[in-house]
Amino acid sequence: MVREKVRVSTRTLQWKCVESRVDSKRLYYGRFILSPLMKGQADTIGIAMRRALLGEIEGTCITRAKFEKIPHEYSTIVGIQESVHEILMNLKEIVLRSNLYGTCNASICVKGPGCVTAQDILLPPSVEIIDNTQHIASLMEPIHLCIGLQIERNRGYHIKSPNNFQDGSYPIDAVFMPVRNANHSIHSYGNQNEKQEILFLEIWTNGSLTPKEALHEASRNLIDLFLPFLHAEEENLHLGKNKYNVTFPLFTFHKKLAKLRKPKNEIALKSIFIDQLELPPRIYNSLKGSKIHTLSDLLNKSQEDLMKMKHFRIEDVKQILDILEIEKAFHNRFNEENVENAFISSFFLNKTKGQKKDEMGFESLE
Amino acid sequence: MLGDGNGGMCTIPGFNQIQFEGFCRFIDQGLTEELSKFPKIEDDTDQEIEFQLFVETYHLVEPLIKERDAVYELLTYSSELYISAGLIWKSSRDMQKQTIFIGNIPLMNSLGTSIVNGIYRIVINQILQSPGIYYRSELDHNGISVYTGTIISDWGGRLELEIDRKARIWARVSRKQKISILVLSSAMGSNLREILENVCYPEMFLSFLNEKEKKTIGSKENAILEFYQQFSCVGGDPVFSESLCKELHTKFFQQRCELGRIGRQNMNRRLNLDIPQHNTFLLPRDILAAADHLIGMKFGMGTLDDTNHLKNKRIRSVADLLQDQFGLALVRLESVVRRTICGAIRHKLIPTPHNLVTSTPLTTTYESFFGLHPLSQVLDRTNPLTQIVHGRKLSYLGPGGLTARTASFRMRDIHPSYYGRICPIDTSEGINVGLIGSLAIHARIGRGGSLESPFYEISERSNKGRMLYFSPSRDEYYMVAAGNSLALNRGIQEEQVVPARYRQEFLTLAWDQVHLRSIFPFQYFSIGASLIPFIEHNDANRALMSSNMQRQAVPLSQSERCIVGTGLERQASLDSGVTAIAEREGKIIYTNSDKIILSGSGDTLSIPLVMYQRSNKNTWMHQKPQVPRGKCIKKGQILADGAATVGGELALGKNVLVAYMPWEGYNFEDAVLISERLVYEDIYTSFHIRKYEMQTHVTSQGPERITNEIPHLEAHLLRNLDKNGIVMMGSWVEAGEILVGKLTPQMAEEESSYAPEERLLRAILGIQISTSKETCLKLPIGGRGRVIDVRWIQKRGGSSYNPETIRVYILQKREIKVGDKVAGRHGNKGIISKILPRQDMPYLQDGRPVDMVFNPLGVPSRMNVGQIFECSLGFAGDLLERHYRIAPFDERYEQEASRKLVFSELYEASKQTANPWVFEPEYPGKSRLFDGRTGDPFEQPVIIGKPYILKLIHQVDDKIHGRSSGHYARVTQQPLRGRAKQGGQRVGEMEVWALEGFGVAHLLQEMLTYKSDHIRARQGVLGTTILGGTIPKPEDAPESFRLLVRELRSLALELNHFLVSEKNFQINRKEA
Repeated sequence: MVREKVRVSTRTLQWKCVESRVDSKRLYYGRFILSPLMKGQADTIGIAMRRALLGEIEGTCITRAKFEKIPHEYSTIVGIQESVHEILMNLKEIVLRSNLYGTCNASICVKGPGCVTAQDILLPPSVEIIDNTQHIASLMEPIHLCIGLQIERNRGYHIKSPNNFQDGSYPIDAVFMPVRNANHSIHSYGNQNEKQEILFLEIWTNGSLTPKEALHEASRNLIDLFLPFLHAEEENLHLGKNKYNVTFPLFTFHKKLAKLRKPKNEIALKSIFIDQLELPPRIYNSLKGSKIHTLSDLLNKSQEDLMKMKHFRIEDVKQILDILEIEKAFHNRFNEENVENAFISSFFLNKTKGQKKDEMGFESLE
Repeated sequence: MLGDGNGGMCTIPGFNQIQFEGFCRFIDQGLTEELSKFPKIEDDTDQEIEFQLFVETYHLVEPLIKERDAVYELLTYSSELYISAGLIWKSSRDMQKQTIFIGNIPLMNSLGTSIVNGIYRIVINQILQSPGIYYRSELDHNGISVYTGTIISDWGGRLELEIDRKARIWARVSRKQKISILVLSSAMGSNLREILENVCYPEMFLSFLNEKEKKTIGSKENAILEFYQQFSCVGGDPVFSESLCKELHTKFFQQRCELGRIGRQNMNRRLNLDIPQHNTFLLPRDILAAADHLIGMKFGMGTLDDTNHLKNKRIRSVADLLQDQFGLALVRLESVVRRTICGAIRHKLIPTPHNLVTSTPLTTTYESFFGLHPLSQVLDRTNPLTQIVHGRKLSYLGPGGLTARTASFRMRDIHPSYYGRICPIDTSEGINVGLIGSLAIHARIGRGGSLESPFYEISERSNKGRMLYFSPSRDEYYMVAAGNSLALNRGIQEEQVVPARYRQEFLTLAWDQVHLRSIFPFQYFSIGASLIPFIEHNDANRALMSSNMQRQAVPLSQSERCIVGTGLERQASLDSGVTAIAEREGKIIYTNSDKIILSGSGDTLSIPLVMYQRSNKNTWMHQKPQVPRGKCIKKGQILADGAATVGGELALGKNVLVAYMPWEGYNFEDAVLISERLVYEDIYTSFHIRKYEMQTHVTSQGPERITNEIPHLEAHLLRNLDKNGIVMMGSWVEAGEILVGKLTPQMAEEESSYAPEERLLRAILGIQISTSKETCLKLPIGGRGRVIDVRWIQKRGGSSYNPETIRVYILQKREIKVGDKVAGRHGNKGIISKILPRQDMPYLQDGRPVDMVFNPLGVPSRMNVGQIFECSLGFAGDLLERHYRIAPFDERYEQEASRKLVFSELYEASKQTANPWVFEPEYPGKSRLFDGRTGDPFEQPVIIGKPYILKLIHQVDDKIHGRSSGHYARVTQQPLRGRAKQGGQRVGEMEVWALEGFGVAHLLQEMLTYKSDHIRARQGVLGTTILGGTIPKPEDAPESFRLLVRELRSLALELNHFLVSEKNFQINRKEA
């Protein structure tokens, strides 16, 4: 029993392509297994993979087409059976494969009569066509059809409103989703105590990449998303530009404050008198006695300085802090950069040092 | 289907047939009939000249313009009517004969519509009470039954005869007044002796004859006087005169006593009379016979009539309406001719037929008929189905008919005689429910305006049955086997008994007693209802909604045929005329997106195709060629598909994968959750083409000018204008941009008319006082799109100035979005509530994400189970790549036939695709689904399938609206209502409660004063925005209250309040 357990746990995770099929040039199918997995793991991986396959994989599409001398996309060109809009719709369907970064240009230049298919697209070397037979237009007369194309690699889908066209080019709604469908299923085996699972992944793609490549791509995407967790935690993470200053600014540090201190704020702090803080009379009197008149005076004193004052107790420090908290909310409205906030918090940190540890454990960072 | 060689008889008649037949009847018979009524006109003075028309010589000329051009150039597609007229000089026995033009008659086109001023108009059939007499009994306030006979004239006028408790017979001439039948009869010209001779119960008449009446009926004059007094409710002592007689004649006898031909027939039949057909007026004999019948009723003899029975109704079709108008026009023409002859004689001129006759009476009569008559409607062209259904409508409303507000429930109800004639399902919702119906598929209009339905005769002698058309009065007396439970062939008489109808009752009869049977399962449905698969499983209310909603479906950019249909899709699309059909056989020698050239039998035929055209509901009309070059085609073959048709079949929606399950509350109250796939794959993308129009006028300061140089406007608003000042074709325009730049000349010295602050602004910004004001055509909110057409129409006016009309057509491509309305074909409708990425949607066991999620609670209470059948069968059909066409009432073949079919198909699909989850015997039709976000299976198996879902024309883009400021109603000073007028939402009584409940006093005050009808507060806001400071508090009452006070004052009620000073008790009157 024990021996078997050991054997299983040492077996490494392996994947295998069980079935692979090309139904047509634009429909590939692949089935993969991943095993052995512990109970529950298959589900975790399966759903993540499915969502990554459906939502994260990049594709290449024609995003813009430029025609010569047509008034608008709902017009027709003499000698072509389709309207311009239908040609655009056909271009939308064309499946491309590329390793582009950003956009590149391609073109179609055909002389009729005859059928224009995807084969007639003149592509840069980095892009290739999957299905040459995809229909674009039917030319009925010996005319020249020239379309300039823009190709883009991206993910998801883009629907652009054609408001910003110049130069007679028309945007095409692009659907960069090479994976048509993905599915996962779980097969569990093993006995009561030790359940093992096999994950089956089924992938249908549009041919621009094989299911195997899609699987690679999806797992790489997932890994990329998880990678940050392996790195050390970032120190000065800008969480949304400090808009939510409920907890965060309280833990900024005194040293950094010095840099941020600006004369303007100092003036602001100087103009707030402790009379406005509604302190209890005893504290007020003792502060006044020590010639602390404004908030800036108060903040310039450290906790030790305050404790040296006559009749000043540790509870009083707490009380001042509470009041300053209330004030803070009020002052934030005047203070875009929350500097003053930081003052108050620094004060808080200074004052409470030694008495109790900060709940969030920011001690170590100091 | 009948299987015994009568296939030809069973074809469905063309859906436009009703309209065509009507119009042909008008042209063939109506014209001659009315023309022959045209009298010979003699001049009044010396009867020297006589004018007459030669009826046989009339002819219509083929119109000079084409239908398309008429639409484009806003003309009427009409044909000129010519007729020979003769002018006879009696003295010299000389006749001058000329062919004269008497006017234009709008023609009907292949859609069954007429084009009047460039607009497609359709005349719908009216259904009226047939003229004749109807008996009914009513309980009076004492609970005693009163018998009444109502005589309905050809014009809809009524004359009521009633018999009271004392067996006296009255004729009710108006709502209040009634006169004795003796007075009426003698006023109509019979004396007492004749009366008594002609009635069956003379003693009854004598018994209530009192002294006063004896005197009145003594002479005709007295009777007429008495009658007139009662009829027109005048007191005093009118004197008998010719004019009085004439007035009575026009007001009473003409309106209420003209029976018409049909009325005479009905009268003779009902009262067993044999008055000749040409006596179209009510005779004293009729009155007396009617009174006899009434007495009989009182004694319990005879039967009462059912006014709602279709045999007592008649259809006034296009033919009758047009014929009436033609008659009216001829009467006008007659008076014109009469006047002209007199004038000519007086001035000693020699008239010719040419200068006697003008074309204006006829032309204007038809123009006003098509423009103003309530039964002439603009053809609704939302989609092909809408077009075809519109011409088959029947209305109880209109002149001579009912009014929507007063029609009783009885009249709106379905009558057993509707069977096979009027659809019991298809009617409008709302105030017109039951008053506007739809013709059943096989119904036709027979002689005398009766609605006929075909039946299949079952005869003993031969196995071959005949198809017979029966009017509503006839089929009641036969045993009609109901179509929904019937072995198809009488040869296989497995069932000995069959349910049948006989005189509005349902019976179960043996086969050999049955006379007739219905010919077709669709027989009693209209087109809209017969496009619903599994309709027999739906509640009638939902089927009604469905037949209405299918008419609101928007044609999609890429249409798709339904997997589950009823088989009527093809004919609906063919008859609608949106497809291009080969008029003759030939070979295609050229196809392009805008035309197809067909060559055959020596010449070529160019068929122009419709390209991105606008319908009057702003939907899209477009034709796509479907035939390759070089192909030989037959007559009647489809050359191009229109919008919402595929391969000649109606294709209003899309087959999408649907699950019936709750999803995070996003399908609460029929809301629908959809996948992003429907957006990015353009599944529910539709085109909408809007027309914006502007005209130039001449003002007192001079004509308006169209230019691209508009002062004081930002350049980006003008960037799309060309050098003439009209938007360029192909430009993309956004809301607020200028489509046509127009300047209206204005007095320069109007400086003082500006508000002071505006003058100040002008002074500061240095705006020059211009001599013109910009009155540009701006794109309204929500109108963004591509300009696809600009038309500049110059009408040649009489004066030196030619008014111009500029039309800009803007095409919008609309993807489906939150707030759009979608519906199935079973009355299951909903609003899109959320669009989810495909990986978040619930998915099937093969990983396929669902496209739509409907609320399962929408099914049980609505009782439209058909959607479930359609859903499952659609799914099977999708997997098996099959299309199903299911006629309604398939349950007559066996029990539970629909369910068996669906399950067997699902089972087969499951077997063929090797997907066991498609059909699971524990929960057939349902499947386990997984949540796309977590991958967890849902608790319960969910029903999935592929129903056909339509996108309806009710879209948010047309409805979304907000108001910050805007206009106010003149009287109440409250914001206007409606999106078109930039209106606001009413804060009504209950909304005020809600705000009160929240305690938001200031908000409430703001809503009721500054934003609404407190004029001074409103001005205060304006002032403070300019000057700064605080907005003054509104103190006095708002305008609508002041309005109330003034309205009370006009009723002599004073409402006011006073302030009493505390110090000196001085009373201060305050003006409310």
